[in-house]
Amino acid sequence: MKKEQSKKYRFIQILRILSQTIFFLLFIYLFLGTHFTGEDYIGRVEIFFHFDPLLALATFIASRTVLASFALAAITIVITFVLGRVVCGWVCPLGSVHQFISFIFKKTKLLKPKNAQDNHLVWKYYLLIFILVGTLFSLDLIGIFDPLSLLYRSFTVAIFPALSYGFEAFVGFLYQINISSLGDTLAQFFENLALNSTFRQGFFIGTIFIGILLLNLTRERFWCRYLCPLGAFLGLLSRWNVVKLKIDSQKCIKCDLCNIHCQTQASPFPEEKWKSSECVYCYTCSSICPTSAIGFPLESTPEKIEKVNLSRRKLIFTSLLAAFAVPFFRISPASKRSSPKLIRPPGALPEEKFLQKCVKCGECMKACPTNALQPALAEAGPEGIWTPILVPKIGYCEYYCSLCTQVCPTGAIKELTIEEKTQVKIGLAWVDKDRCIPYNLGTPCIVCEEHCPTSPKAIKLVRIEVMLPDGTIKTPVAPVINTDLCIGCGICENKCPVMDKPAIYVTSIGESRSEQNQLFLPLLKEDSKTSTEPF
Amino acid sequence: MKRRDFFKNIAFGSLVLNLSPALLAEEKNFPDLALVQGESPELITRKAIASLGGIERFVSKGDVILVKPNIGWDRTPKQAACTNPNVVKTLVELSLEAGAKEVKVIDNPCNQAKRTYIRSGIAEAAKKAGAKVLFPNPHRLKKIPLKGEWLKEWEVYTDFIEVDKIINVPIAKTHSLSRLTMGMKNWLGALGGNRSQLHQKLDQVMIDLAAFFKPCLSVLDAYRILIRNGPQGGRLSDVKLYKTVVAGIDYVAVDALGTTFFGINPSEMPFLRLAHQKGHGEINLEKLKIEKRTV
Repeated sequence: MKKEQSKKYRFIQILRILSQTIFFLLFIYLFLGTHFTGEDYIGRVEIFFHFDPLLALATFIASRTVLASFALAAITIVITFVLGRVVCGWVCPLGSVHQFISFIFKKTKLLKPKNAQDNHLVWKYYLLIFILVGTLFSLDLIGIFDPLSLLYRSFTVAIFPALSYGFEAFVGFLYQINISSLGDTLAQFFENLALNSTFRQGFFIGTIFIGILLLNLTRERFWCRYLCPLGAFLGLLSRWNVVKLKIDSQKCIKCDLCNIHCQTQASPFPEEKWKSSECVYCYTCSSICPTSAIGFPLESTPEKIEKVNLSRRKLIFTSLLAAFAVPFFRISPASKRSSPKLIRPPGALPEEKFLQKCVKCGECMKACPTNALQPALAEAGPEGIWTPILVPKIGYCEYYCSLCTQVCPTGAIKELTIEEKTQVKIGLAWVDKDRCIPYNLGTPCIVCEEHCPTSPKAIKLVRIEVMLPDGTIKTPVAPVINTDLCIGCGICENKCPVMDKPAIYVTSIGESRSEQNQLFLPLLKEDSKTSTEPF
Repeated sequence: MKRRDFFKNIAFGSLVLNLSPALLAEEKNFPDLALVQGESPELITRKAIASLGGIERFVSKGDVILVKPNIGWDRTPKQAACTNPNVVKTLVELSLEAGAKEVKVIDNPCNQAKRTYIRSGIAEAAKKAGAKVLFPNPHRLKKIPLKGEWLKEWEVYTDFIEVDKIINVPIAKTHSLSRLTMGMKNWLGALGGNRSQLHQKLDQVMIDLAAFFKPCLSVLDAYRILIRNGPQGGRLSDVKLYKTVVAGIDYVAVDALGTTFFGINPSEMPFLRLAHQKGHGEINLEKLKIEKRTV
């Protein structure tokens, strides 16, 4: 018998690696392009997300609204119906990252592949059920687990900030050893990329991501095998696909190499055991087979195939668990009264709607030109973890910018034109007279007023009288806020020279999106509007 | 230290001039300030420099020149929060025409650098004219002894020190603390660190900084001036089309003439009075030879 590996499948395997590389680079290209590049309107840099049918489904159920952009997800569904989980094996950038890391671990002998026949494959299906049952109650947890959200968020909040830290250190080193011309070039290049590098939860989110990568030490593509809910969803869709594994029993020498090296534990051998729902069509088995026994011929009539093995008992249990979990997410005070720190990006929907749609992907955090948008921890309650909030001490909302509203893949932040955006209030500034320099030291300052972007300015300077500890009286000008004009952008807090705890700060009250979180009775507001003097 | 050499040369040069009355007389023919009005920002800038004796008076062959506009804010040229890009462009062109080896354009803005550089139109205009447009690079910040009367030292972008000459090209705007921001206030854009603390003694800081950076030429862009809601503006109604530039060597005098555009007498401005008292320049407009032209 001829002992030879299949050249055809080796070629297909190389094509697959090429495809993965291209899509990963495309992902990175769009990622890096998600910032102010010179145009007010940025184009569909978030397009990857719109191909994700699970995000589409979860957002649809949770928010009970249809978003037209998600029509692209139909393409993924059709491809999966016809060809199986090729998207996992050939396209998904997180899948490629996992496979690359697994490849490194295998090459370095940190991971010794073996024929694992455990039953953990079903985890991901239960996770999927848990998430989808939650969405029935408008509890949208998909963003935590969706592979694209997970990857984008981790890149935005942790990986690229860490890389930029390293890059900065390298540039600093260049200056130290007097190669400043190269340092200059790199520093200018870097400033042009406008990477946000300061994130409150960078360590936390980064640790989770690295942890998920390290799981590949135990099994190849651990995440894709056991955890990925999108993989599970596509697995369920793929049972009718026409590309089926076929083993030529004449050639097969039962060496088990295919089972050992299968990236996702799809059990190519024996043929009857092969799980179509687990196969990501990486073509490792068919190209590694020493006798070219494995092939993937097109078969229009599906034979009996190995179904996803879910026990009805556990399905019901998981569904009930999800239903019971919902109230636990809702008993936080966040739903009773707004947190002062819950300053949402401009265009964010009212909180309830926002939480139903936000998939915690971090697109907005990547796009923000001032690094102001940060992942929330507890400000929005447990279901709002990693949703964007504006932290004025880190950055502020740039007046003529609406990038975050343009890149949101689910419409949790409504797309706004620059003109519309400048009309949105996201909060209100307050002067802390106990800390403000003129109010306390009698010294001039005006920095907040100078930076206030509205015209006329929402910060007015009024003359005040200050008695200093020695009894002398000073009469500096000091800031007061015009609540009608203030949009809560936070630049005043960001630039306040009182470094540790700024003497002017923004809280969420007055935000346009909320009916309750308002300072004034609407009636009163009408009155004050008519009596306001023109500037 | 190239700049130090430059100052030495000036000192030496003025000594020579003192000893040769003929040359001195020729020098005196130039006006102290040139004020030019007209429709085109490029033309009025060129004319103003020509009135002062041409760019060759300030830029020598082989010089590395830094042009310092105000690129402080994320605003478009029509909003008049940043220097007019065409004025900046013209100064770059002139410098290169005079044989400058390299012209750098840099400012440390208040909003994100990339946004201000692009939306002000300055990056594109200056690049087209052949300048090297640089984002402020934190690695180039260095604590520098400024030897000011009040401000002893501060973090400065070394780009400002490692050039032969600096041309200051501010825009004229209102400001709630110094009342107006023009040339002398423009130097805050050369600094890093916690700049906002400098506002606690802004007038004195401006004087020290201007004396330290000592531009070889100041060109005040008043093509559009911001008459209220400065220094950012916003509405077009905050802007007044004034179609003027002022150029001169005496940066105090340039700012002094600029104040009159806002209907203010220079002697009403505390920072100008103080600068004059300390001998940094002239604010009495009657004592200045001002050449006014319209093109």
